[in-house]
Amino acid sequence: MNIITQAQLVDWLNGLARKNPLIAPREEAGVILYRPVQTIDEIAWDFTRTQIPVKEVFFPPTERLMTIEKNGQGVTLTETFSDEKPVIFGVRPCDGRAMVMLDALFIDTPPVDPYYARRRENATLVGLACNEMGESCFCTSVGGAPDGTVGLDMLLTEVDGGYILQTLTEKGKKLLQWMTLAGYYGEKPTPVVNPPIPLVDQDAWRAAFDDEYWERMAERCLSCRACAYVCPTCRCFAVRDEALPELGSFERIRCWDSCAGENYRRIAGGHRPRAEKGERLRNRFMCKFYYYPAEYGLSQPASCTGCGRCIDACPVNVDITEVLVEVGRLS
Amino acid sequence: MTETNHQNPMLPYLGEISEVKDLANEIKLFRIKMLNGGGEAFADYKPGQFAFVSAFGFGEAPFGIANIPEHGPYLDFAVNRLGNVTTALHELGNGDLVGVRGPMGNWFPMDRFEGKNLVVIGGGIGGAPLRPVIQYVLDHRSDYGHLTILWAARHPSLLVFTDEYDEWSAAPDTELHLTVDSPDQQWDRNVGLITELLEKVAPSPVNTVTITCGPPIMIHFTEKMLEKMGFDPAWNYVTLEARMHCGLGKCGRCNLGEKLVCVDGPVFTMQEVGELLEDFL
Repeated sequence: MNIITQAQLVDWLNGLARKNPLIAPREEAGVILYRPVQTIDEIAWDFTRTQIPVKEVFFPPTERLMTIEKNGQGVTLTETFSDEKPVIFGVRPCDGRAMVMLDALFIDTPPVDPYYARRRENATLVGLACNEMGESCFCTSVGGAPDGTVGLDMLLTEVDGGYILQTLTEKGKKLLQWMTLAGYYGEKPTPVVNPPIPLVDQDAWRAAFDDEYWERMAERCLSCRACAYVCPTCRCFAVRDEALPELGSFERIRCWDSCAGENYRRIAGGHRPRAEKGERLRNRFMCKFYYYPAEYGLSQPASCTGCGRCIDACPVNVDITEVLVEVGRLS
Repeated sequence: MTETNHQNPMLPYLGEISEVKDLANEIKLFRIKMLNGGGEAFADYKPGQFAFVSAFGFGEAPFGIANIPEHGPYLDFAVNRLGNVTTALHELGNGDLVGVRGPMGNWFPMDRFEGKNLVVIGGGIGGAPLRPVIQYVLDHRSDYGHLTILWAARHPSLLVFTDEYDEWSAAPDTELHLTVDSPDQQWDRNVGLITELLEKVAPSPVNTVTITCGPPIMIHFTEKMLEKMGFDPAWNYVTLEARMHCGLGKCGRCNLGEKLVCVDGPVFTMQEVGELLEDFL
């Protein structure tokens, strides 16, 4: 471990910004988001977590998969891959961990998704540990930690006089090549944590599947899908073609979607599985704590990072930690 | 195409429409010849597998492949005009290009069915992914026992593959029974639900495998009837329909509990379906 002073950190980040696209927490329209920054003055330092997780850098809300040009009877398809090699600064440990969970789907389970995989390969994640958990955070209940290192290439932890710097991967090492830093031999500060929420196992989720709880709990749900929009591990997507009128061509895009949406599963012929809100919310929670870990072989018991964003985003106060408690009670 | 080694599973192969035929009211059969590399990708697909077909500029949707490679080299798709993609496909004709991704999903284990009697039960356009099974059995007739085909539609105008009924009926050890929910003036075959036809024809459950495809509600009641008649859910095969946007196990849309219809299916036994946490209805 090394220590980097505030002044050294400023120099280092400015140096990084000259060499690579630098993405960092930045205020935009009143919220903090991961956005490209030109100088370090733009970086927001005082935040619990960003409004939208770092997922959006690798799996954007909308992305072009290919362009489609029709010429006479011919068709030309041109894939659109990003070759940017960004450094992402200020990644919270919960978001770093989310990337490993998404890797399990997009990279580790064949076939590899080349759009996501290229961005993952090209990016370096510099984490920023939390000294204390936010009000709705529960990362420690789902296997994470405010100073966790999973999925990160480097982690900074604030201490008196600067930041403890942990280099975690070869990628992380490369960023430090031109820096000489003093060693850090003190204790790492212990983050302040919230009381844990007990997790329930897959059997409990199975047992709770047919309970009338879901319908009751979902009564107030608006199917607005904000929970999925802010979730670091929700990855459902839709694919469709859009016209590019100015070019006379088309693009095939994919964009975020959510199983909480009303017509998400509607099929040709009118069949509408999961027509009820309770069935849809149940699916979302089951996905986090049972389906996703089972289908994609997660080493973690849940594909929930405990970031608490969905709790803050829900306009009708559906609280995932209350669901955990309730499912535990049902079993 | 910019990429020919096809490392990108979202990138479709190009295919050329070589024939379009009216199969039924609002249902067309598209015969597609695969171009640049697509032929190899689709050299060895199996009965029950599916593919995504693109109407470029409109989008793509999954369709069961309606023929076997031995009846090629082309792919047949039955397309019912219902949404954006299928409406755009219906506008296309001979020589037009479409995109095709696949083959996807699991398939009917035709080798496991050898030596058994088969009851093939198709409802409406659900008959399309069953046509490869019929083609395969008729091509390897001595490998299988008695073949009973029960074919249904809401109305005579919605029956698919009508011009192949003579061939199916004339095949050795094969019988075809048709039924419709509501007949027209010319109809002289059965009237009523497929479950009623099933009960009337009464195929023996002994050493028999059933293969069903149709609307979810039809699958549900057909299975109930089959079990009442003594058929074993472990030998009652179905192919399930689900909305999908990738076919690769990524987009999350087609899950039934912890299983995904696109990669864990679409072919299941009713025993497997019964063990799923979530109902397919």
